[in-house]
Amino acid sequence: MSFVGPSSSFDPLFAFLSFSLSKAESAFYSLPGSSVIARYVKSSHQNDPGRTVLELILVVFAIRTLLQSRTRNEKQQKHFIEFDEKEIDELVAEWTPEPLTPQLTPTEKSDLAAVPIIAGPNGAKPKVTKMAKPVLNLASYNFTGLAGNEHITSRAIETLRRYGLGSCGPSGFYGTIDVHTKFEETVASFLGTEAAILYAQSMATIESVIPAFCKRGDLIIADKHSSFAIRKGLEISRATVRWYEHNDLASLEEVLMTIEKEEKRRLRRRGCLSRLFGRSRIQVKYIVTEGIFERDGAMVDLPKLIELKQKYKYRLILDENMSFGSVGRTGRGLTELYNVPATKIDMIVGSAAIGLGAGGGFCAGTQAVIDHQRSNGMAFVFSASLPALLAVSATEAIQILSSTPSILESLHENTRAARAILDKVDGITIPSHPASPLIHIYLKGNTFSPSSPDATPTRFLHPSSAQNSPSLSIITKTPSSHGSSKQSHQSPLSLPQLSPSQIALEESILQEIVDEALSQGVLLTRAKRLRGQEVNEPKPSIKLSISGGSGGLTKKEVEKACAVIKSAVGKVLAKRR
Amino acid sequence: MSPAAITEPSPMAFRSSPSRSIFKKKSSPSLAPMTSAASYLSALSEADARARGLSKSPTSTPALSLSSSITESSEDTVLNELDDDNRDGLLFPSRAPTSEQVFTTVHTEFGHCSNEEYRYVSQHIPGATLEVVEKDPPYYILLTTYISYLILICVGHVRDFIGKRIYPGAYKHLMPHNGLAPLTSDFDSFYTRRLKQRLAECFAQPVTGVAGRTIVCLDRFSPDFGQSYILTGGRTRALNISSYNYLGFAQGRGGCADAVEESIRQYGVSTLGARMEGGSCDLHVMTEALVARFVGMEDALISSMGFATNSTFIPALVDKGCLVISDELNHASIRFGVRLSGASVRMFKHNDMKSLESLLRESISQGQPKTHRPWKKILLIVEGLYSMEGTLLNLPAILALKKKYKFYVFIDEAHSIGALGPHGRGVHDYFNVNPRDIDILMGTFTKSFGAAGGYIAGNKNLIDRLRLHGHSGPYAEAMTPPVLTQVIASMASIMGIGLPSSLSHPTRTLYSADGEAFQHPGPAAPAMLPSWINLPPALASGQEGETRLRRLAFNSRYLALGLIKLGFITYGDPSSPIVPLLLFHPGKMNLFHTLMKTRQTPIVVVVVAYPATDLVTSRVRFCVSASHTKEDIDVVLRACDEIGDVLDLKLGIRPSERWTVDEIIERAVELVKS
Repeated sequence: MSFVGPSSSFDPLFAFLSFSLSKAESAFYSLPGSSVIARYVKSSHQNDPGRTVLELILVVFAIRTLLQSRTRNEKQQKHFIEFDEKEIDELVAEWTPEPLTPQLTPTEKSDLAAVPIIAGPNGAKPKVTKMAKPVLNLASYNFTGLAGNEHITSRAIETLRRYGLGSCGPSGFYGTIDVHTKFEETVASFLGTEAAILYAQSMATIESVIPAFCKRGDLIIADKHSSFAIRKGLEISRATVRWYEHNDLASLEEVLMTIEKEEKRRLRRRGCLSRLFGRSRIQVKYIVTEGIFERDGAMVDLPKLIELKQKYKYRLILDENMSFGSVGRTGRGLTELYNVPATKIDMIVGSAAIGLGAGGGFCAGTQAVIDHQRSNGMAFVFSASLPALLAVSATEAIQILSSTPSILESLHENTRAARAILDKVDGITIPSHPASPLIHIYLKGNTFSPSSPDATPTRFLHPSSAQNSPSLSIITKTPSSHGSSKQSHQSPLSLPQLSPSQIALEESILQEIVDEALSQGVLLTRAKRLRGQEVNEPKPSIKLSISGGSGGLTKKEVEKACAVIKSAVGKVLAKRR
Repeated sequence: MSPAAITEPSPMAFRSSPSRSIFKKKSSPSLAPMTSAASYLSALSEADARARGLSKSPTSTPALSLSSSITESSEDTVLNELDDDNRDGLLFPSRAPTSEQVFTTVHTEFGHCSNEEYRYVSQHIPGATLEVVEKDPPYYILLTTYISYLILICVGHVRDFIGKRIYPGAYKHLMPHNGLAPLTSDFDSFYTRRLKQRLAECFAQPVTGVAGRTIVCLDRFSPDFGQSYILTGGRTRALNISSYNYLGFAQGRGGCADAVEESIRQYGVSTLGARMEGGSCDLHVMTEALVARFVGMEDALISSMGFATNSTFIPALVDKGCLVISDELNHASIRFGVRLSGASVRMFKHNDMKSLESLLRESISQGQPKTHRPWKKILLIVEGLYSMEGTLLNLPAILALKKKYKFYVFIDEAHSIGALGPHGRGVHDYFNVNPRDIDILMGTFTKSFGAAGGYIAGNKNLIDRLRLHGHSGPYAEAMTPPVLTQVIASMASIMGIGLPSSLSHPTRTLYSADGEAFQHPGPAAPAMLPSWINLPPALASGQEGETRLRRLAFNSRYLALGLIKLGFITYGDPSSPIVPLLLFHPGKMNLFHTLMKTRQTPIVVVVVAYPATDLVTSRVRFCVSASHTKEDIDVVLRACDEIGDVLDLKLGIRPSERWTVDEIIERAVELVKS
């Protein structure tokens, strides 16, 4: 009896529950197709109750995933610390950021002040603001002497009147002007490739070509002393980079062989699997190097390089920024010099600013290679196209080069004349190829006096000496970023790694030589580097650009300028001794 | 032009019925040949020809000529154009100028407009809201858009599957051959091949001539559905509402072009080398000083490419241990630069100050990941005007946050410099904010100045450091003399030279790096320009520049508000010269583009879709220019009205709230001032 009491008090509740349940059931069955689901659930539950539990968990998990915010996953990380609003306010008030930029050091200030500024037109004999008389220019890139060429100038003015100056849009959006197409066709037929593409700046070209084709997981073999722009392109691509010794194709072959072995080993390990699933994916593999190296003027052995690339199945990106318009009978670059068809190279990247004296850069290759860049080359897609008059100037320059072989002849003669003098100068070495009109001058070993307190070689090796000099703070800064973790475990450099203080010392000596030469009427420049941002620090050098052609220097003038360099080197080094 | 005159049917206005007009290519020679206009057209064309003749450009090819790139491809001489009829209203203005009105510009490059009513001042009205209410389309639009993409993707995969088996030759670059991996993986290129290629007609249209008020397209056709194009040899002159020519400085005639010609004669076309290595000339120094004065900063540096300005100088600003906070819609060049810098990046929701503040609070309190060390510094990178959205930066709110959270501000003014503000100085001018409150101002010369390249402005120490440590300094070619001159001439004509500012707007006194005081926004000192630049009086006084700024402001607001009143969904601020009109469907992009281009007055437009925008918010983007006349905007509005009806694009406001296109054209001034 006593049991009846409580159960009866719950009766209305049970009645309500059973009522709402039956209501829900009838509502459920009134839905079309619901009986199928019900049957499925029933039968599956009868067969295997565990499965129902599993499916329920799955449903809950799916709902949780859907509701979870995808953008704020930082908070879910184990390192996240919960703060309340007051604590955050305190932390915000406490936080003091570093200044946006540190003050310039005296060295940096003098570096900036030493940059020569040309008053009026640049060319073989420009005026420099600090000097009364025109100087002989061995600093600016004017290999072909086309600067100020009258024909090009008049074509440029004509173009200005027809096209205005700016293109006012990227190529995709009404920025593809007929003169761009004309330039692309001219370059392609000049080099003998299927097609070419014009970028608005030469540095951005290679920085954009590499990431257009190489992605994370792809493999790139690159020269250890590749130019800065190539390095940045490699970093942006996020591909795995393996390095070989500077301009050493034997070292390249070693790297290629090592990779081949690694691949075979990996294949053997996965042997049964790959046999099951057919052929495994072939890795995207590239070799990237320069024709004439911006860092030292050395030249790559193109036929050997092509042989290696074909043997080991790689694609080749050849940066001809310095060699296009400077070597070969008519300035077509390395392919002409070595008499190799350009079609053997997958991508030739060149500059229209250096060899052609206009502006912009280009990449030449097959139609598929070029078409791919038109929608994937970042600097092509996201940048306004080159001003029409620069494209026309570059086109005209190519026409002049191909019809006037005497330009390159005189350039090569001037280069030989310069080397004849410079090779014999004491205290310097020249790493550049004899045919390269880009000539780097290194200081030889310990030419400076060891009696000078800063110049004791043992002190250079000691890292603490770097901290003594406040002017070196930028050099000791760690490299801002590494393109790939693979960079670190490579064999030592071919060139001896210089300590920051030694670099600073050599740069100051070279700057003295540059200043001395300028006072004698010859414009030179140190190769300017971004110390601290370069991964393998290049050795300090003076960079000479020999010019030829009717608008360049004559052989006599080149010899005179080199004699000035010789005397300046002698004078500065004697003072140091 | 008096308001009464506007009611007359303009000869440019399109008179046939919508249904007839839309699907007919510009034909109908039977359309009324402007008898009312005929009398003055001949006189005007002569005047235009005279304006061209003044420049004395060499018409004969020099003896050394080896190439025929110009003579062969562009025979549009003055004579040729005179033979053309003006039925599409692009060559000559619909209304003859009176004897007092002297136009020194060519109408096809810069439209003649003397009506002072059609002017407006671009400035922020204090208290006005910047919050943009995003209008959502009806659900059926979203649903059908998703379905269209689904169909496109399915069809694309089926085509790939069948194609690879039947035509292996066409897929060679996607398959391994000779032991080489495919050039591009077919997965990566799927979007380009199967979706973008269907829109190939809308992109990379080859053009010739000046990208001014009108542009000449080279007609082409594709024999293989967009894979390749063949030029037919024909040309179409079209109204250009696509180029980034905000102030109309893309001109082959006029004071700026004359200055550029002089510079080519004096300097040639190249500076031969990088800025740090024998490529610097006196023009670089002058341009940098002028740019610094223009934006009101201590110092500035210039770079030969706009993209490279961001990609090569941002790495010199931040490095490991620094945090970059970036708007989610920032341009690719900013991402490129930040990626190279090695700094950490966090993104906040586009233009959302609440999202920014919560992100700031989180990152400052948490510090660096894992170690919880405080960030070395935080750099906020935003754009002044977003190129795909037309949204303005909420600068006052950002500066308020900056006071509290001590981050540094980098503003990319690629689109806003020259285009916003009563003096064209960009967002800080628009909001009347002291430029020195901002740490770094970056911008490009491609857009408002009709040149190329970019600049970064800031305090002297910062700029000197960037000169030394930016990648461009030693490694990238310097800006060339013609481009430098175009920048100097166009910038000086916006600022005015030497005259004390006669404007009523408050000016501030700022100091340059060497302690010299100057008024900002104020005129350029005559000594800042090379002595050989002789700008015509209208440009030198800054009057022309001011007119251009005010015409741009009028045109921008007129088009944006007109489209809204017609019932379209647009994004962005009405003050922005970029006006995106939402299309949603991928299929409508091609159709909209073609319908606009095949009208009697052909109009070229830019359509943008994924990945530049969200997948569903495909849009057409108008870029208004000061070179457009009010009648040009009327033509665009009329075209949009007709095409909008056909393509079901009027999804913004209810039909009862809409205005008819005639009403909008009539009440344009009232609409702009509202």
